Amino acid sequence: MSAGLEFVLLVFMGLPLLIVLINNLLKREIAQKICLSLGLIAGIGQMVAAIVVFVSLNAAGQASVDFSQFWNLTAGASRFSVDFFSLLALFCIGMVVTAGFLTAGKTIGDKRFNFTNLAMIILLGMNGIALVTDLFSLYVFLEITGVASFVMIALNKEGNGIEGGFKYLVMSAIATAFILGGLAFIFMQSGSLLYSDVASALSDWQNVDQPALLIVAFALVLVGFSIKSGIMPFHGWLPDAYQSAPAAVSVILGGIVTKMAGVYAILRLTGDIFVGVNLVNQILMLLAIVSIVLGAVAAITQTDFKRILAYSSISQIGYILLGASCGSAIGLIGAMLHFFNHATFKTTLFVNSAAVETATGTTEIEKLGGLQEKMPVTGVSSILAFLSTAGIPPLAGFWSKLLIILAVWQTGNFFIAGLALFASIFTAAYFLRLQRCVFFGSAVEGLENTKEVTGGICLSSVVLSVITVGFGLLFPLVLLFVQSQGLI
Amino acid sequence: MGAMFTDLANFITGGSGVNILYFMVVLPAVLAVLTVIIPRDSFIARSICFLAAALADLILAIALFIDKEGSMLLSWTDFEINLAFRVDDFSSAIVLALAIFAVLVGIYSVSFLRKKEKYGQFYCYYLLTLAMANGAVLADNLVVLLFFWEGLMVTLFGMLVIGDRQKPATAMKALVLNGIADLLLMLGVAATAAQAGTFMMAGVSQLPIEGLGILGFVCMMAGAVGKAGSMPFHSWIPDAAEVAPLPFMAILPAAFEKILGIYLLVRITFDFYQMVPGSVMSIVVMAIGAITIVLAVCMALIQKDIKRLLSYHAISQVGYMILGIGTALPVGIIGGLFHMINHVMYKCCLFLTAGSVEKQTGTTDLRKISGLGKLMPITTVCFLVAAFSISGVPPFNGFFSKELVFDAAWESGMVFYIAAVLGAFLTAASFLKLGHAAYFGPLHLPEGVKAEDVKEAPGAMLLPMGILALGCLVFGLFNRLPLSVIQPIIGEGYDFSGWPHSITLVAISCVVLLLAVGNHIFGYRRTGEGLKAVDHIHYAPVLRSIYNCAEKRYFDPYDIIMVLIKGFAWVCFGIDRAINWVYDVLMVNFIGGLSSGMRLLNNGSVDRYMVWSFVGIGFIALLCLFFV
Repeated sequence: MSAGLEFVLLVFMGLPLLIVLINNLLKREIAQKICLSLGLIAGIGQMVAAIVVFVSLNAAGQASVDFSQFWNLTAGASRFSVDFFSLLALFCIGMVVTAGFLTAGKTIGDKRFNFTNLAMIILLGMNGIALVTDLFSLYVFLEITGVASFVMIALNKEGNGIEGGFKYLVMSAIATAFILGGLAFIFMQSGSLLYSDVASALSDWQNVDQPALLIVAFALVLVGFSIKSGIMPFHGWLPDAYQSAPAAVSVILGGIVTKMAGVYAILRLTGDIFVGVNLVNQILMLLAIVSIVLGAVAAITQTDFKRILAYSSISQIGYILLGASCGSAIGLIGAMLHFFNHATFKTTLFVNSAAVETATGTTEIEKLGGLQEKMPVTGVSSILAFLSTAGIPPLAGFWSKLLIILAVWQTGNFFIAGLALFASIFTAAYFLRLQRCVFFGSAVEGLENTKEVTGGICLSSVVLSVITVGFGLLFPLVLLFVQSQGLI
Repeated sequence: MGAMFTDLANFITGGSGVNILYFMVVLPAVLAVLTVIIPRDSFIARSICFLAAALADLILAIALFIDKEGSMLLSWTDFEINLAFRVDDFSSAIVLALAIFAVLVGIYSVSFLRKKEKYGQFYCYYLLTLAMANGAVLADNLVVLLFFWEGLMVTLFGMLVIGDRQKPATAMKALVLNGIADLLLMLGVAATAAQAGTFMMAGVSQLPIEGLGILGFVCMMAGAVGKAGSMPFHSWIPDAAEVAPLPFMAILPAAFEKILGIYLLVRITFDFYQMVPGSVMSIVVMAIGAITIVLAVCMALIQKDIKRLLSYHAISQVGYMILGIGTALPVGIIGGLFHMINHVMYKCCLFLTAGSVEKQTGTTDLRKISGLGKLMPITTVCFLVAAFSISGVPPFNGFFSKELVFDAAWESGMVFYIAAVLGAFLTAASFLKLGHAAYFGPLHLPEGVKAEDVKEAPGAMLLPMGILALGCLVFGLFNRLPLSVIQPIIGEGYDFSGWPHSITLVAISCVVLLLAVGNHIFGYRRTGEGLKAVDHIHYAPVLRSIYNCAEKRYFDPYDIIMVLIKGFAWVCFGIDRAINWVYDVLMVNFIGGLSSGMRLLNNGSVDRYMVWSFVGIGFIALLCLFFV
C-alpha cells in the first residue's frame, strides 16, 4: 500500500474528528459563520477520497485493502478494511452529508454550531461502520452514530423533536441490548469477533456444541439490526423520528443514517459472516417482503410529506434486504446498488420536503397544492426521484430493482418475486398521491406567492437528480464493471 | 402475340423478368389512379381513360388466351412469399371472361353514370377491382392469391360506400360477411400451406382431404363460396342492390364474384385437393349448393323490387354451380363452369335491363311500374332472352348448362336433383311474374313521370345488353364453342356439347317449365295482376309466417351474428365492469382500510412499539424453530 493511499484513507476517520476539533477551538462567533462550510468540506472531501481510493484500488487490481489508524495492526484486535462495497457506502455517506449541509444553510438557524458537531460525529460513526472488520467495533460505532442521532433529532429542543428522539433512544437501546447479547453468544462459539473468524466458525454451524444457542444468537442479532434499520414490525419509531426531526437532520437521518446503522450492517452480516446460513436468509426474506408490502400500504394514507417518505423508506429498505437475503452474488449486487440509489432518490425527496417546508412553512400535503408552477426545480426533481423509486426505466431505481427481483426469481420464490414487483404499484400509488396533492393542480389559497427556494437546497436537488438519471442511463457501464470484477 | 407483349415488357423494364402477367395487374391499377387524378370536370377524359384501361386489359387477356402459357416470379421476401404469376388453360379463359365483362359493363357504366356524382371514384374502384381480380386469378402463390383476394374486399367496400355515404350500413354488412369468408380463406391457406410445406401453388397439388387437410379444404372452400355469394355469406347482396350504383351490381355480385368464387372453388376441389365423388366433402359442398338454390329462390319469388329480385337470383344460381362442382363428376364440373359463364351473361344482362328501367323511370319498384314493353322494346327483348336463359328454356344457354348440372345431381342423389328441379320451377315462376309485371299488362308509371318522357335507353347502354343477349343465344345454339374451352380444363376426352343426351331429364325439365307457366296462369286468374301471380305461394298457410320472419330478417346470418356479437359484447361489458369494480372499489377500499388501520396502530406510543418488537422477536424465534 502506497503512502499516498494511506494518507487518503486517513480522511475517513481523521477529517470528521479534525473538523470537530477546529469547530470547538474557534471563537463561537467565527465558528457559527464557517461551521457549515467545514461540514461541506468534510462531505465533499469524503466523496473525493472515496473516488480516489476506488480508482487506485481498481488500478492496482485489488479488491480490498486493510489498514489501521488508532490501533496497532499487529495487536490483531481491531483494524479497518476497505472494499468496493464500503467505498460505495462511504461515497453515499459523503453525498448525503453534503446534501444535508447544503440544506442546513437555509433551515437550521442558529443551531448550526451544534448541528455541525453532531453531524461530524455521526459521520465518524457511519464511516466506522463502513470500515470495521469485527463485530465489537461495529457495535461501538453503532452506538456513536446512535447517540449523536438522538441528540440531533431533538436539536430544536421542542416537544415533537424530543419525543421522536426519545422513541429512537428507547428502541435503539433495546436493539443494542439484543445485538450485544447475540454477540456474546457468538463469541462463546467462535472465540473471536473478527468477521473472518466468525464466518469460519459458523460455516458448519449445525455441528457446533450448542446449535440452539447459535439460533438464539442469530435471532437476537437479526432483531437488533432490524430495529435499527426500521423494518416491519420493528419500525414504530422510524416515522415519528423522521417527521419530528429538523429538515436538515431528516435529510441525513433518512438519507443515510438508518441505512448505515441497520441495513449496511445486515448486508455485511449476510455477505461476510452468515455466508451460507440459509436460516438467516429465509427469515430475512420474509421480513423484507412484509416490509415492502406493508410499508408501501401504510404510506398510501399518510398526510405528511416526511411521513410518507418515512414509510417509503421502510418499503425500500425491504427491497435492499430482499436482495441481500437471496444469498447470491446478483442479489447482493442488486442490494448494494439499490442502497446507493435509495440514498440518492430518498435524499432528493427529503431535500424537496425541506424546500417545500422552507417555502410554505408546512409539510402537510393537504394544505399544499399546485407548487409545480411556483417551484419547478423541486417539482421536477421530485417526479424524477419518485419515478426512480417506483422503478420506472430508464432511471437508476429500475435497474437495481430489476436485479433484486431477478435474484429472488432465481431462488425459486416466485410468489415473493411477484409480490415485490406488484408492490411497485403501491409505490407509484402513494407517490402519485403525493405529487398530485403537493405539486399538481392549481395553487391553493395562501400559496400564490410561493417562490422557488434558491441556493444549497436547489443545488442539491439538481445534482442528485442528475445522478439519478445519469446512473440509470449509464447503468450498463456499471454492470460491465461489476462483471469485470468477476462478481457476477 | 403474347411473345410480342413480353418482348415489349422486357424492353420497357430492362429485362427484369417482368412480363405480360405483371401488366395484367399493374396496368388497370395505374390507370385507376389516373382516372381520379384527371380533373373532376372532364367526364369525357376520365371515361376515355377508364374505357382505355378496360380495352387494354381485354387485349392483354386475348393475348394470354392465345398463348395459354407464361409465368413470372419476383422474390419479395423470404418464406417463399414471392410475387409469382402463372397462366394456364383455365386461368387464361377466366381472365378473358373477366376482361370481356369488364369492357361490356364498362361501356354501360359510362352511359349510366353520366351526370352522376362520384363517378370518378366508381371508375377507380372498378379498375382496381379488375386489377385485383386479374391478380387473384393469375397468382401462383397462396399468399399472393390471398393478397389480391383481400384487395377485392377493399374495392367492394369502397364501391358500396359511394352509394350510401351517409350511413354505410350495407357496406359494413358486406365488409363483415366478406371479412368472415376471407378470414376463413386465410386460415385455409395457412392450413393448406402447412400441409403442403410450401406456399407456391406448384407444390400444392392433389393433397388428400384428411387431418389438417380437412381444415384447409373446408376453410378455403368457405372463402371461395363466400366470395361467390353462396349462403350463408349472401345477405349483403340484396341490400347492396338497393343502395349501390347499378353497374356495381352488374359487375361485382353478378359477374366478377361468381367467376372468381367458382374459379377458386374448382381450383381447390380438383387442383389443390383431391375431392372424389361420393366423399363426405363432396356431399357437404353439394348440400351448400342445394340449400342455396332453394332458399334464395324462395326469397326471390316474393320480391317486389327488380334489383332485389335479381340479386336473390344471383345467390340462387350460384347454388347450381356449387352443386355441379360438388358432385365431383366430370359432367357436373363442366356443367358448373358452363353455368357460371352462362349465369354471368344473362344475370349481367338482366341487371343492365333493370338499369335501363331505372334510368328511364327512376325506380325499379314493381308496384309502381308496369307495361314498359311498348315504350322500351329493345330492353324488353333483351330481358326476355336473358329470362328464358335463366329459366332454362331451350335452346338458350341456361338450358344446356342446367341440364348438365341436373345430370350430375341425378347421379349423385335424388335429394339434390329434387332441390335443383324445385329451384328451376321457382326461378321460372318468379321470372314470369317479373316479366309480366314490368313489361306487359297495362301501362303504369310512377307519379310525376310522363309516358312521353320514357323512351328506349341510349345506345351505349343497349349495346352491352344486346351483345350479352346475343351471347346467351349463341352459347345455347352453338354450345360447342364455350364447351371446347371449358372441357380441356378437367382433362381430355370429354364431350358434352350438342343436345343433352338424357331425354328423361329434358322431359322432366320441360314439364317443370310448363308447370311454372300453369302456376302463373292460375295465380294471374286468381288475382288479376301479374305482380300477384305467386301470392298463392307467398301467402300459403305455413309459408306465410316463414316468409314473414324472413322479410323481418330473422334468418339473416349477418343479423344473427350481430345479435350474438351484441350479446357477447354485453357479457364482456359486464365482465369488464366487474373487473373494474374489483380494481376501483374493492382493492381501493381494502388497501385504504388496511392503510388507515396501520395509521391508527402507529399512534406514537413507544410502549406499543416495544410490544410490537417483542411480538416480532417471538415471531422470528418461531420461524427459527420452523426452519431448523
